[in-house]
Amino acid sequence: MSARGVALVGGTTIPWGVRSATWPELAQEIGAALFRAVPELRTEDVDSLFLGAAEPERFAFQSHVAPLAAEQMGLRPTRILQRTELACASGQSAIRSAYAAIAAGLSDVAVAVGIEKMNLPSMAEANTAMGCALDRPWDGPHGATAPPFFAMVAQRHMLEYGTTEEQMAAVSEKNHRFANTNPHAHFHEKKFPRDKLLRLPMVAPPLRLGDCSSMTDGAAAVVLAGEEFVRRYTDTPVWVRGTGQYSDFHNLANAGSLTDWVGLKHASREALGRAKIAPKDLDFAEVHDCFTISEIIEYESIGLCPPGEGGKFATDGRAEIGGDLVVNPRGGLLGCGHPLGATGIGQAVEVYQQCAHRVPAERQVPDPEWALVHNLSGSANVHSVMVYQGGGTA
Amino acid sequence: MSAPPSRTRAQVLAPSPASEPVPASPTPSVPADGGSGTTRTYEKRPFLLDFFPLETAKDTRLSRFFDRLREGHLSTTRCAKDGELLWPPRTACPKCHGEALEWVDLPETGRIYAFSAVLAGAPLGMEDQVPFAVGLVDLEGVPLRLFGRIEGRPWNQLSVGQTVRVESFDIGDGRFFYRFRAPT
Ligand SMILES: [Zn+2]
Repeated sequence: MSARGVALVGGTTIPWGVRSATWPELAQEIGAALFRAVPELRTEDVDSLFLGAAEPERFAFQSHVAPLAAEQMGLRPTRILQRTELACASGQSAIRSAYAAIAAGLSDVAVAVGIEKMNLPSMAEANTAMGCALDRPWDGPHGATAPPFFAMVAQRHMLEYGTTEEQMAAVSEKNHRFANTNPHAHFHEKKFPRDKLLRLPMVAPPLRLGDCSSMTDGAAAVVLAGEEFVRRYTDTPVWVRGTGQYSDFHNLANAGSLTDWVGLKHASREALGRAKIAPKDLDFAEVHDCFTISEIIEYESIGLCPPGEGGKFATDGRAEIGGDLVVNPRGGLLGCGHPLGATGIGQAVEVYQQCAHRVPAERQVPDPEWALVHNLSGSANVHSVMVYQGGGTA
Repeated sequence: MSAPPSRTRAQVLAPSPASEPVPASPTPSVPADGGSGTTRTYEKRPFLLDFFPLETAKDTRLSRFFDRLREGHLSTTRCAKDGELLWPPRTACPKCHGEALEWVDLPETGRIYAFSAVLAGAPLGMEDQVPFAVGLVDLEGVPLRLFGRIEGRPWNQLSVGQTVRVESFDIGDGRFFYRFRAPT
C-alpha cells in the first residue's frame, strides 16, 4: 500500500535580515504574508500547525511558542499543534512532521512555519545561545560554537584533499550572487566578488566572514495538503517523494572523520531511494551552506562528485545554472542569512516557487522537476534530507 | 577498543548522588576549600548564562570527575562489562546500557588532530579572551579525540600533529575545568 500523496501547495517568506521586530511580530507578519500568497487558503482549512523554532527560549525569552505562533498568525488548529526543534534543521523537521501527519491521515491541510529572532542587543548573549546547540556542559566551556568547529572541518578538508580558500570563496560568491536576485535575502543588496571575499577578516581560521552564514531574523511558511485537497490551492503542486535523516553523535569527541559526512550519505541515499531517483536526476538542490566548506562536502556526500572534488565542483561552475544541477538558487544560508527555524521552510518555499516558475529569470532553473533539500544541524551530527517532485506531475 | 594504558587507575563509579556530603547551608560567594572536595561551594551565577557545569555531588552524579580534576587529573568512565571507554563521562553505558561504570584516569598528553581559533563571536564571559585557540586532540594511547581550549601558544603557531599536555585549572570561582597546553 502506498501512503497518501502529500504536496506543497504554496508558501512564502518575509524579508530576512536584522529586523526591527519582535518574535511575535515576525509571526504576525508571516501569517499575513501566507494568506496573501495563498489566497484560496481559508483559516478554517488549516487543521494543523507545525512550528520550526530552534531557540525562542534563549533568543526571545519565550517557550510554549506553538500556540503563540497560532494566535499571532490567526490560526486555530483542531488536530495537531506542535513545535519542532532540531537546531538548524528545525524548519525541515516541521515540514517532515506535517508530511507524516498528512500521509497518515491525521491531517488534511497543515501549515509548516519557521520563525527565529536571533539579533539581540548583546551579540555575546546571542553567541551564547548558539553555543547551546552543541554539547553545552562539555564542549561549551571551551568556547565551542559553530565557526571554530566548521573551521576545523575546513582545515582537515584542505589537509586531506588540497581544498583552497579560493574554492570556498567560489561557493560564497555564487550564493551571494543568487541572493542578489532575492529581495527577501539578508544580503540582497551587497555584492561579494571573490577578491573581496578573500580580503574579509578571519572569524575562525581558515574561515573568513564571507565563509559564514549570519545571525538573521526571519520567518517562512508553506502549506501542505493531502492529495484530495491539493487542487483547491494550486495547479503546480510539488510532491514530497522522499525523506531521510541520520544522526550519529553529539559531543565533538565522537565526530570521527570531520570530512566524511556519513550521516548525509545515509540520509540522501534514503531520501533519493524512496523517490526512486539518483543524484544525476536532480534539477536543483537547496543545501545547508551554513559555511562554504559545508556546501563543498555536501556535493561530495550527496554523490554529485567524488570525495575531495567538491571545491573543484564549485570552481568548475557545475553548481550553476547550465551546470550539472543548480545548487542554492535562493541564495543559500550565506546569502539569505540563517534564521535557524525558518531556513528549512525558506528552502521549501524556493522549491515551490521554482517549480511554479515564479522566481526572477536570473535564478530560474530551466524546467525544474526534481529537487533535493538538505539541512544539517549542530556540528553536522544530524542530516535531514527531503526530495520533492514538481513539474506538473499528478 | 584497544587495551587501556597500564597506568590508568579504576575506581567504581558511585551509584548514589548522595555519596558526597552536601554543604549544610550553601551561601553565595564562599571560596573553594582548596582540596577535599567535600564542603566546597561556589559563587552562584545565573545558571542559564554560565557555560561551566555545576560540579558538586549535590548537582551531578559525575562529581568524581571534578574532584579528580582538582587533583590535577583528567578522568572518564569506562563500562565495567564491555570495556568501552566513554567520553564524556557517563552514568550508563550507551552500548550495553549497563550502569556499572568505573573511573579511569586518562593520558596527560595528546596530538592535535585539528585546530582553529575564535577571533570574533565569542560567547558571554569569553569576549575578553579573544583570540583563543581550540582544537581536537587525539589522546596518547587511547581511542579518544577530545575537544578543548589550547593555551600556551598563539593559534597561528600551532600545527596539526603537535603534542600538547592536558591540564586542569581553577576557572576563578572555585570550580575546575580542563584544557590543553602547547609547549612554549
Ligand atoms: Zn557497556
